[in-house]
Amino acid sequence: MKILEIENLSKSYESKLEVVSDCSFSIESGNICAIVGESGTGKSTLFRLIAGLERPDKGSIKVKEKIVSNDKFIVAPKDRNVGLVFQDFSLFPHMTVIENIEFGLVKNKNKKVEELLKIIRMENFLNRYPHELSGGQQQRVALARSLALDPSLLLLDEPFSNLDTELKSKLRKDVRTIIKEIGKSSIFITHNILDALDIADEIIFMDNGKIIRQCKIENIFKEVKNKKLLKNITELKSNSDLILNALKNK
Amino acid sequence: MVLKIKHLKRDFNKSSLLIVIISLLLAIPVFAILISLFKETGEMWEHITSYFLIDYIQNSIILLLGSGIICFVIGTSSAWVVSRYKFKGRKIIEWLLFMPLAIPSYIVAYSYVGLFGYGGSFIKFINYLGFNSIDNIEMMNIYGLVWVLSFSLYPYVYASTRLIFQSYPTRLKDTASLLGASKNKYFFKIALPLASPAIIGGLFLVFMEVLNDYGAAKYYGINTFTTGIFRTWTALEDLQSSIYLSAILVVLVFVLVLIVKWLRGRRSYNLKTYNSNDQDENYRKDLKGLKKIIFLTIVFVPVLFGFLFPFLQLIIWGLQTFESIFNSELLNIGIQTLFLGLSTSIITVFLATSLIYLSKWNYLKQLNITSKLATLGYVIPGAIIGIGVIKSSHSITEYFSTYHNIKIGYIIYNSILVLIYAYVFRFIAVAFNSIESNTLKLSKSLSEASNLLGFGKIKTFFKIDFPLIKNALLTSFILVFIDVIKELPLTLILKPYNLSTLAIKAYEYAEDERVAEAALPALFLIFIIGSMISVVNYRFKLNK
Repeated sequence: MKILEIENLSKSYESKLEVVSDCSFSIESGNICAIVGESGTGKSTLFRLIAGLERPDKGSIKVKEKIVSNDKFIVAPKDRNVGLVFQDFSLFPHMTVIENIEFGLVKNKNKKVEELLKIIRMENFLNRYPHELSGGQQQRVALARSLALDPSLLLLDEPFSNLDTELKSKLRKDVRTIIKEIGKSSIFITHNILDALDIADEIIFMDNGKIIRQCKIENIFKEVKNKKLLKNITELKSNSDLILNALKNK
Repeated sequence: MVLKIKHLKRDFNKSSLLIVIISLLLAIPVFAILISLFKETGEMWEHITSYFLIDYIQNSIILLLGSGIICFVIGTSSAWVVSRYKFKGRKIIEWLLFMPLAIPSYIVAYSYVGLFGYGGSFIKFINYLGFNSIDNIEMMNIYGLVWVLSFSLYPYVYASTRLIFQSYPTRLKDTASLLGASKNKYFFKIALPLASPAIIGGLFLVFMEVLNDYGAAKYYGINTFTTGIFRTWTALEDLQSSIYLSAILVVLVFVLVLIVKWLRGRRSYNLKTYNSNDQDENYRKDLKGLKKIIFLTIVFVPVLFGFLFPFLQLIIWGLQTFESIFNSELLNIGIQTLFLGLSTSIITVFLATSLIYLSKWNYLKQLNITSKLATLGYVIPGAIIGIGVIKSSHSITEYFSTYHNIKIGYIIYNSILVLIYAYVFRFIAVAFNSIESNTLKLSKSLSEASNLLGFGKIKTFFKIDFPLIKNALLTSFILVFIDVIKELPLTLILKPYNLSTLAIKAYEYAEDERVAEAALPALFLIFIIGSMISVVNYRFKLNK
């Protein structure tokens, strides 16, 4: 089943150039997909359109084969069953870890929160406020808060950009394990292709508001026609070679 | 545009509708004045233009320029001294420099008569110091009025500038020193220009207060636009001509708004490039010798003439007249003032918050411009709003009586609801700006996260936004409350005959040539305002 289908989606702000331009793609259920592109290519706007936080100028969005947005009809963010972990985590500053996680829950609060705290390994931080947590801990709480509502699709906005290199690599593994463990479909955006290679099943490349390529991880180096993309991938290859050489010499 | 029309049905929601309704309802007085301009001029218009108009324009310009220059000098220099130097009693002076805001300018004007007139307290004091040749300082002229308004209104410039001066990182001064700048060059080329948006913002508020002043100008016998609007309507009984005068004043105000925008220009005054931790706790320098005397004079003169002298004069008068003035009527008037202040502030803060959040929830962003209409009141002097409300009340009653045969005049005229409505329009911008600046500080993604977690807009407001902006709501409530209980011209025009406020009572005594009796209601008013300012100050420190 397709968890997300997007057709001819466009968005511009105040009559300026389109930030998202005629995008079409779909994602299979259970996959982790990375949207990769430089800053300002429209990745975050695309996310906000999927979550319902922005209204598209044209095009349609389907979540779990149901239309959630087109020219005539729009479903409110709260009714889309889509979770979003923001880049700045957006934890409510006046609420503790436990209050943040149970915020959206109506039934079985205690059981669900207990389960999630175990998954994110934060059982000992229940009553801490967000400012008393490290960046990595804040991110795990934000992830748990979104997962608490059991969303059909989980969106992660630049999940590793606010973290240092060591923590980043650990957290990449954590995030993949957590998402796969609970069997969620997920999309994350990043400007760092290494993040994508590490945890995604497939990658979508974006440039100037357009989708320029969608492929499985195993096919990433095959049949690349786009010049910019080719340059990026070549750089990635040479960087990997440099790193490998450095490691060998060490 | 085609695109927007295509999405009109999808994007138009209750918020869009409510913004338009609230904004248009609030701006009715402005429309009433604008529509009246297309009608013929009033009977007295020729008489006014021949004998008074030049006087109104000339006096208003002298008042604006004079108080503008003096407020700029006093406000910025005192802010600089308390921000950059150490001296005994600095914290008390910092607080006392705000205090003229607690005394409405018309009350300062009354007290100056007791201070500087024949046998006045200040005259006695300087005679005691040996200056026997001075028996009177003539204050009841336009220059006296400039002095009164300047010493009463400089805190607007002081307050905004002080905040900026205190936020300067030490590295800014160090950079200038390393580049060879002297202290004077640093002040005039770096510190002052960086504070210019704050200074201009403060001066704009001073100009608005000068144009809004009725009590002081009337008492000193100076013809200004505001006194002219009153005289034309009450003495000459020509509402149409007073609307024309109001329109000229509105034009003057908008010219001021354009000048302010032009002065601000497109230069950046942002200090974000500097690290916010770059603040040396011991950056304040000691004062010595002649510099100490000059700088202490800079901070003491405004405190003495803007607050302590007028306040002491009021206390002297208050004690003299206590027995005859303090009675149940005065207490009753105090309660009426509190009731008006409280009810107006609650409604104003509610409507301001609603407009801000409705604009946020509305997807047709072009409609948000209408909320600007609702906040026009603060740049329109009270007398004009009063005349606008009367004109629109006439039109509404006439419409119902002619087309529906329903008499609603008794509800509209002489009604406290109309007065509260006018206050709300006049002061909603105070609450709107204060709350909006605080909501802008909140990360947009907080409420979006709540939406995505299944909460609607209203629930999100109460669960997330409200706890985070409740201090801003309280502060704006207090600011509106202070403005309402100080207000004079609007209250004079619209108050029901059986209602009075402390401001009105003080004005009535002064107009009756019983200026000493005006002291007690004035002191009562100052006490309430002073307590409220202390609460704001306390909350501000707490937030910091």
